[in-house]
Amino acid sequence: MRPLFVLLSPTVISWRNELRAGGRARRLRRLALIGLGIGFWIGTYWTIRRVLLYFQTVHDLGAALAYQLLLIILLTFLSMLLFSNLITSLSTYFLARDLELVRSTPAPAASFFYARLITTTVNSSWMVLFFSFPIFAAYGAVFGGGGEFTLWVALVLPLFLVIPAALGALITHLLVYSLPAKRIRDILFFVGLFAFVMLYFLFRFSQPERLVQPETFGHFLDFLSAMETPSSPYLPSTWSAEIFASVLFDKPTDRWFFFALITSYAFFLPLAASWVSAAVYLSGWSKAQEARQGRRPSNLLDRILHWATHPFPPTAKAIMLKDIKTFLRDTTQWSQLFLLLALVVVYVYNFKVLPLDRSPIPTETLRTVISFTNVALAGFVLSAVAIRFAFPGVSLEGSAFWILQSSPISLKSLLWSKFWLNLVPLLVLGELLVFFTNLLLRVPLWMMGLSLVTIFLMTFGITAIGVGIGALYPKFNYDHVAEIPTSFGGAVCMIFSVAFIGATVMIEAWPVYVLAMQGLSFGTVTGAGWILAPSLAGVAVLTVIAVVLPIKLGLKRLEEICE
Amino acid sequence: MIRLENLTKHFGKLAAVESLSLEVEPGEVFGFLGPNGAGKTTTIRVMMGILKPTSGRASLGGYDVAREPEKAKAITGFIPDRPFIYEKLSGTEFLKFVGSLHQIDSPLLERRMADLLEHFELSEWKDELVEGYSHGMKQRLVHCASLLHEPKILVVDEPMVGIDPKGTRQLKDLFLSLAKGGTTVFLSTHSIGVAEEICQRVGIINRGKLIAVGTMAELYRMARINGGGLESAFLELTRDKEPGAPDTKEP
Repeated sequence: MRPLFVLLSPTVISWRNELRAGGRARRLRRLALIGLGIGFWIGTYWTIRRVLLYFQTVHDLGAALAYQLLLIILLTFLSMLLFSNLITSLSTYFLARDLELVRSTPAPAASFFYARLITTTVNSSWMVLFFSFPIFAAYGAVFGGGGEFTLWVALVLPLFLVIPAALGALITHLLVYSLPAKRIRDILFFVGLFAFVMLYFLFRFSQPERLVQPETFGHFLDFLSAMETPSSPYLPSTWSAEIFASVLFDKPTDRWFFFALITSYAFFLPLAASWVSAAVYLSGWSKAQEARQGRRPSNLLDRILHWATHPFPPTAKAIMLKDIKTFLRDTTQWSQLFLLLALVVVYVYNFKVLPLDRSPIPTETLRTVISFTNVALAGFVLSAVAIRFAFPGVSLEGSAFWILQSSPISLKSLLWSKFWLNLVPLLVLGELLVFFTNLLLRVPLWMMGLSLVTIFLMTFGITAIGVGIGALYPKFNYDHVAEIPTSFGGAVCMIFSVAFIGATVMIEAWPVYVLAMQGLSFGTVTGAGWILAPSLAGVAVLTVIAVVLPIKLGLKRLEEICE
Repeated sequence: MIRLENLTKHFGKLAAVESLSLEVEPGEVFGFLGPNGAGKTTTIRVMMGILKPTSGRASLGGYDVAREPEKAKAITGFIPDRPFIYEKLSGTEFLKFVGSLHQIDSPLLERRMADLLEHFELSEWKDELVEGYSHGMKQRLVHCASLLHEPKILVVDEPMVGIDPKGTRQLKDLFLSLAKGGTTVFLSTHSIGVAEEICQRVGIINRGKLIAVGTMAELYRMARINGGGLESAFLELTRDKEPGAPDTKEP
């Protein structure tokens, strides 16, 4: 056991030293993070509690609905954990920077395996654990789980976390061992992404909204039985849900059977993974150290890029070309587009299946209201994209930032080139998203115009917030690109983006309400331009502030780094 | 002692090391020279069990690195060319970590740490986080870590990078004194001056093949040069030969 603890000690001591490190800025940042965390917990607890209380008002169905929700939540957690463990195990076992140091010492291979498994589990699971606390607390509070439920959560949750971690480590070992060495990281990233996107689609296209439309079931008993039956009996998420359901809703299942099942897998899978690791680790790690294959430059692409960046000054053009080429050649960056694609498809699909015709409100008014909400939602989609692509812009310069620092270019032109580079694709995405969803909604002309102009202005602000806050909190030392958006700066960027979108929506809410009511009363809308003009001017002013302020703040921070 | 038998490592189609056989005796300082990309670091990584050889065998102190890696590593100290140190650990914490991996008992570890930190002039900084160290200080800390367990074999990859002249002198003296005490020192370096000054024998690797091994005098003879020292011999031996030109390696 001792080597295991020794192998874990650098991580633990590093955390402790990091926590002890003083400084006002650090303390404030920690306080802000704790505040954000508590706020999130309270918000999640309140929302889940409300939903569960609402379920309870549905006669005879409260527990069944709560059970279905629990299944969905645990299934989502399981897929997130599996995805995250796959990527994390690749880093901890095969790409970590301390591997050479650790593997050149006489530390036993088994201790090394288990130490890395613990690190992988903690790194991959802490976020799920964090998200799950208020959810379980809400379940316990609404269904009177009490101490017994808390005890079962404490018993089951660690087992639930270990299974995907061990499975992730096992799959990673096998993949690294069997795939061509030069593409390991790329291929695994694709595998993970593919798995995630598939799960996302499967979940969406299984149409969970069907469960709240009982008319689609022939008989009430069919419906009830569908609600009480787990959809995937072979998954640890179902076993955990069965145990919790037996405590919370007195569901007549053998909780000890499911507990034995989950425990046996939680003990067997790490053992199986350790056997596989003992057999294949060194070969796999040797492969992982081999160099990557270069790519042949494409003349056509070069010509297109030179033409596209032609209007910009030479220095901005040089930075843009470098950024675009790096983006296209770094699979870990551009493969995130798959996530974006899934997000957009599901988003548009949601509009297609909206049951507008069954609403008691006149369709035209409802379409206007939904279209207006859609502008805000499209803004959120854009900010999610901006946080993935615009926010890491400065951080991606990484340890090569000195090249820009020592070059005869101003940091201002660096930031603006990153702004324009991100703005164009975001604008195209935003406009297309709003245009097509509005087409599906068949909104009135004035609403179409307002949506397109608003999202146009909003994109400028969202891009500048992404680039500016990214420069304000640069993260030059990262192991993986995906770490950058999840940093503290990423959270700040998200908060600012959401606040900006919220303010924009609030400025436009009143005139849209007036016009929607006019439509409701008279059937047609007149003078829309005059009613909307002042608020559009207000949004334009807000956008200018949202563009200038973050870029200025980011620039100031970069200048401080240079000092 | 170090023994490499027909050691071969291929990266895809590229033969980074090919049929390399070599023996280094206890108490010897052995220099391993070669141009960039010749296969020096790959050889060392295979020797240390960091890379798996495509074929062949490496043994350290009689222990086969593939079959008994823990025993082989327990008697070996390693200084890589680009060492990693946990930035958020203090110098003392880092050394304690490495010492614990080598299972050195506490009182001995404390004593060794104090001696080595003193020797490498790091005592004053031992409780500072590594992230605050200069490049040279980090190098010296890695040297401390590699010597904590009093290894019988020391494998060093480019030891003088980033070290000032005083540090270089100290390091050369250290290698010589270790060898005097019976430690085998395997030194991979670009610095011909260092090799010439402290190595009893030198091996020259080029394009993955060991093309010459011997004492300085033997190398001069193989290169067929009368003067100019090891540098001339190295340049002559690693010069691109015409096809069909005779191999200079001694049988």
